Amino acid sequence: MSANSNPYIPVPTQISRIINEVDTNDIKTFRLTFLNKEDEKNFQYLPGQFAELSIYGKGESPIGIASSPTEPGYVEFTVQRAGTVLPGLVTAALHDMDEGGKIGLRGPLGHPWPIEFLQNKNIVVVGGGFAFTTLRSLINYMLYPENRGRFGEITVIYGARTPGLLLYKDELAAWEKRNDMKTVITVDKGDEDWKGRQGFVPSVCKEEAPSPHNTVAVICGPPIMIKFTLPVFFELGFSKENILTSLEMRMKCGIGKCGRCNVGYKYVCSDGPVFSLAELDELPRDF
Amino acid sequence: MTSPKSVFFPPAEDFIHYETGKSILDAVAVELNVKPTFLFGVRPCDVRSFQIMDIHFSGTGSVDPYWQKRREATVIFGYAFYLDEPAQAEEFYSTLGIGAADPEGSDIFMIRKENDLLLKSMTSKGEKILDRLSVHDAATPEDEKYFEEYIHRGRQTRTRFTCIEKSNIAKKMEDLFHNNDFWMKISSACLSCGVCTFLCPNCYCFDICDETLFGKGTRRRVWDACMFTDFTLEASGHNPRMQVYQRLRQKINHKYSYHVRKYDTISCVGCGRCTRHCPVNIDIFSIVEDAMKA
Repeated sequence: MSANSNPYIPVPTQISRIINEVDTNDIKTFRLTFLNKEDEKNFQYLPGQFAELSIYGKGESPIGIASSPTEPGYVEFTVQRAGTVLPGLVTAALHDMDEGGKIGLRGPLGHPWPIEFLQNKNIVVVGGGFAFTTLRSLINYMLYPENRGRFGEITVIYGARTPGLLLYKDELAAWEKRNDMKTVITVDKGDEDWKGRQGFVPSVCKEEAPSPHNTVAVICGPPIMIKFTLPVFFELGFSKENILTSLEMRMKCGIGKCGRCNVGYKYVCSDGPVFSLAELDELPRDF
Repeated sequence: MTSPKSVFFPPAEDFIHYETGKSILDAVAVELNVKPTFLFGVRPCDVRSFQIMDIHFSGTGSVDPYWQKRREATVIFGYAFYLDEPAQAEEFYSTLGIGAADPEGSDIFMIRKENDLLLKSMTSKGEKILDRLSVHDAATPEDEKYFEEYIHRGRQTRTRFTCIEKSNIAKKMEDLFHNNDFWMKISSACLSCGVCTFLCPNCYCFDICDETLFGKGTRRRVWDACMFTDFTLEASGHNPRMQVYQRLRQKINHKYSYHVRKYDTISCVGCGRCTRHCPVNIDIFSIVEDAMKA
């Protein structure tokens, strides 16, 4: 099957690379290459969007795109094997696949980070744990040589529970060496080899105290991190319009038809998943 | 009993046939084979429901090819309610501004006049059909007058009495969202069975699932319902609508508030099916009336 106008039919891709991201072995990055050139051409995306990974017999999973459109030829997805409470059929099957395996892909879906809104502003990216994937896409997009001049100062504050749970370790190391951005990596609890910072993301944000002047904060993380990080940014003087996040809800179709991810008058898939806090304030607390 | 939405949006729709163990390149998209269809005797409120569903399925964002192709291939023969008999107790379409003999949205509209059936084409699609129908007599001027007056009489017919204005009720529902007492009270008998959503001509929630038997499988969409516990259950275990009151609140708000804000229309046509067939006698219109008073 190749690309067609039916939004429910996935296009075929091949897993060209698998990276085991964490020492718990349950988060891997899958690099997918399109089997049809035309499908690749049609897959025009921006950071913040997601796609449905499709394995026949198992189903589909909506996953944020972790690569940046500035890296042509492939799309990357960082996927956690779900199943602490429910069996995550698709993610488990994906984790059991090898390089060379073929899966379906449907997308790109949803709205990206608002690139035009972010342009000519300072950007503070705050990430926690596994929710760093579409932030990585955004950072790599902004750092792309032709794009770097379009954005002001870039600050990245990223934390995980342990050093072994940090994603994209090679890239983090490379970012720390750059002088056109500030990279702050923290872990809740270090081990004997950890020489970096220790501390929860909210308190590190407080210590770093980024200026709200002409600055947008892009924050993704587990609910508990969000809960304690937002007050820090309010206190620093960030307005709700200038704090962006990405929402999660159970999804199926990804195109605003199946009704599953409905929150208030929005569908998280087609109206989001990216929202400003000001937009979220208009929605009922139903997510 | 069931609504005619299943003509355009069947309870199960096959998307893809696949075989496990074979390459995904061997999977085949199921060809949508739509035949020209006459949908005969649709009540005005149900015809209105098609127009509301059009906004969602084909009028906004991505187009749902299945809904759109079936809609295009169908000629709708609308049929006025019989005005000499009182409306059924559960019906409340007139409170939503839908007349008992409104012809809008039908390709051909039919009105009963004693033992005759008056047919009038409302669209060019309907006109083509009527032109080729040889059995009928031409309408007399008296028939024409009867037809027009009947439509007018249909708008005078009262089903229930509280009239619902869309922006009013949408605002009211928004204000009521956090009033848990209200939602707990109205949902206390609810079994979460979902029959209201399956019978509703405007409920469109669906699931997409893979069903495999002896290596051969089908990816299909099936009707789903926001009334079911696992509808919003995430793989992490988090479920934003675990409680019955949260789910009934979602259903009512979706129809009377969210849809108004998103698509500028109430997503309910007052057909009364949900009330008529609710096993515990929950009456959606009483909830709306209570909300207006709350």
